[in-house]
Amino acid sequence: MTPPPAPLHAGRTVSKARARRDLLMGLAFISPWLIGFLALTLYPIGASLYYSFCEYRVLSPPHWVGLRNYIELFSDHDYFLPSLYNTVFMFIELPIATVISVGIALLLNQKLKGMALFRTLYYLPSVVPTVASAILWLWLLNPQYGLVNKTLQFLHLPTTEWLQSPVWSKPAFIILDLWMVGGGVVIYLAALQGVPTHLYEAAEIDGAGAWTRTWSITIPAISPVIFFNVVLGIIGTFQYFTQTFIMTNGGPANSTLFYALYLFQNAFAYFRMGYACAMAWVLFLLTLGATLIVFRSSSRWVYYEGEAR
Amino acid sequence: MNRWHWLRARTPTCSRALLHRNRWLRLVGVALLAVACGCGQPSRDANGVIHLTIWSMWSGQEEKNFLKVLARYHELHPNIVVENLGAVNDDTKTVRAIVAGVPPDLFTLSDPLYLGPLAANNAVYPLDTWFRKSGLREADFVPASLSLCRYKGHLYAMPYLIDDYALFWNRRAFKEAGLDPNRPPTTLEQLADYAVRLTQRDASGNLTRLGLQPIGDLNVITQDFGGRLYDARTNRVTPDDAGGLAGLRWYVNLINQMGGYQKVNGFAAGFGQAQSANNPFFVGKVAMMLNGEWNPYWVSRYAPGLDYDVTPIPPPAGHPERARSTWLGGNMICIPRGSKHPKEAWDLLVWMQTEEAQILFAEAMNNVPNIRAALKSPRLREGAPYKRKFAVFLDLADSPNGGHFPALPVANLYNNELTTAREMALDGRKTPEQALRDVRIRVQKELDRYR
Repeated sequence: MTPPPAPLHAGRTVSKARARRDLLMGLAFISPWLIGFLALTLYPIGASLYYSFCEYRVLSPPHWVGLRNYIELFSDHDYFLPSLYNTVFMFIELPIATVISVGIALLLNQKLKGMALFRTLYYLPSVVPTVASAILWLWLLNPQYGLVNKTLQFLHLPTTEWLQSPVWSKPAFIILDLWMVGGGVVIYLAALQGVPTHLYEAAEIDGAGAWTRTWSITIPAISPVIFFNVVLGIIGTFQYFTQTFIMTNGGPANSTLFYALYLFQNAFAYFRMGYACAMAWVLFLLTLGATLIVFRSSSRWVYYEGEAR
Repeated sequence: MNRWHWLRARTPTCSRALLHRNRWLRLVGVALLAVACGCGQPSRDANGVIHLTIWSMWSGQEEKNFLKVLARYHELHPNIVVENLGAVNDDTKTVRAIVAGVPPDLFTLSDPLYLGPLAANNAVYPLDTWFRKSGLREADFVPASLSLCRYKGHLYAMPYLIDDYALFWNRRAFKEAGLDPNRPPTTLEQLADYAVRLTQRDASGNLTRLGLQPIGDLNVITQDFGGRLYDARTNRVTPDDAGGLAGLRWYVNLINQMGGYQKVNGFAAGFGQAQSANNPFFVGKVAMMLNGEWNPYWVSRYAPGLDYDVTPIPPPAGHPERARSTWLGGNMICIPRGSKHPKEAWDLLVWMQTEEAQILFAEAMNNVPNIRAALKSPRLREGAPYKRKFAVFLDLADSPNGGHFPALPVANLYNNELTTAREMALDGRKTPEQALRDVRIRVQKELDRYR
């Protein structure tokens, strides 16, 4: 006697119902995030796209103006385009910062006594909040009392007005940022410690010098991390805001009016929210484009372990 | 006291314009906030006492002064309690609260430039009808104080004390430069000439003293040259009218003669905070400044030994009719749409115009009353020695040659563009004509959209 087989379809229904219940339970459990994502991320993003085609003064309802905001952006030779050029100028900083932070990381990777102290010293500036370091550098770069000019005077080098000069204000920001490369250094340092030592040993046996070892082993081995930092750097440069907001507010003579600052002014000082939304979308596309270019190029210079080269 | 009680029950008094936002999201948000904040108190409690909320820009000692004013109001009107949220010095916060439908009952404008956008978008109550019914008389007010609060001829705010500008000069610096310390310049041309003569450099040519402190708001000068910024009749902005141009040219010339834009700017970057013993005028780094009525008190507090005096800013040569020119600003208080007690809020604003309320606050803040009768008060003019100099500003407030920034929906844009244009001209990147013409074109284009 065999027991009658359990009705198959009934089991399917049960498991189907259970699957549905599981799904609902799952959704319920992640609902705080889901609701947050939908209401606080997706909705505002979608709304900003819509508003970018509107004249929207925040205090009254938006009304559709088609492509007007976008057309005006690219015909604005007094503010929008200069703010874009100013931002692009800051990309000079990216290669300099990369070379300096990789260099510092290489030095900090030596096995010397007291290295922990040096690592702390180089990382320390990154612990200081941006606002605090901005205010600190306001004084370091002060034309009259600043340490920077005092040092230059001591070395009998020419001084300048730095943040008070339309020519030197952007380089001044670059100097400030280079002071804060410690965050990148720490990431490079972690990568350096992960480079397999057997590669160095093999190279040494083959008679490779320190320079060759660095260039042919270290740099390729940490290239994924360089790539990661460059991508973050691109995004960060396009969003450059805090320093100029605190230190110069775009002056003198608009020389530090960066993209994000002008966007902020349009949105919150001029009540041109539609225009600001259009700027935000252009900024998104620019960032996306620049990042894609770097991604495309990465197959040529980024090396992942296990890949043939 | 729970300052968040207004987050609870909402009255549906918002204007149509403000209701376009997704109601559901807002309801959810308000509900969440209400839960998060626990139970507040209703705006009218069991004893029938009405609780008004005001967001004000003042903090520290100034907030304490304002609280004294509010306490006095409560003494006179026991059924009203005014709760103050201080240090709201970012008007965009208030704007967001209005848009979200949860504004206070009243708020001070920390930046008067926001009046235009608020009024143009009907986000604050127009006050003309209430003004007429309240028994207030326009003739009792310092004229500029009401026009500061008007947009397109309608009243959208009430003043509570005003600011005006005059010329301060360091008498010792005058003596050192061979000038008569008892004779301040009598024309703008002479003022520039004195400023150049008072400027000092060290052996290696670096600036050690500027004759005139760099002018933060050049409208003070362009107004004196007859510049008007805006023509209400034609609804045109006029940054490059004859006065605006003359003022900018005057300033570019002066800065060049004092050492050039970058040198002067670099020197000014080393100035200490204004409200401190390191104020550049108090320590002699600048020999003259165009500044406001709060300074005599500050000198008495931070630099009691300073030998200085104060006088109205002189007119340009050949225009004695423009004597006693000044530039005015003020504390402006608005009633936002969505205020739960607009009527009671208005009553408070009316009381602030009484002589008692004016003098009470003016004496504590060292600001100028906006009610004419209060300008004559001996309490503001006599007593401490600095009050003689403060009185210069009391006399100046009523001057027919007082000007102020026009209330425009694009006021912030206009002001920033003016600042940038002036920097461009000072740096030689544009001529004054070109810089100001560009401002006119860009701002007018934006203004024309507000019809």
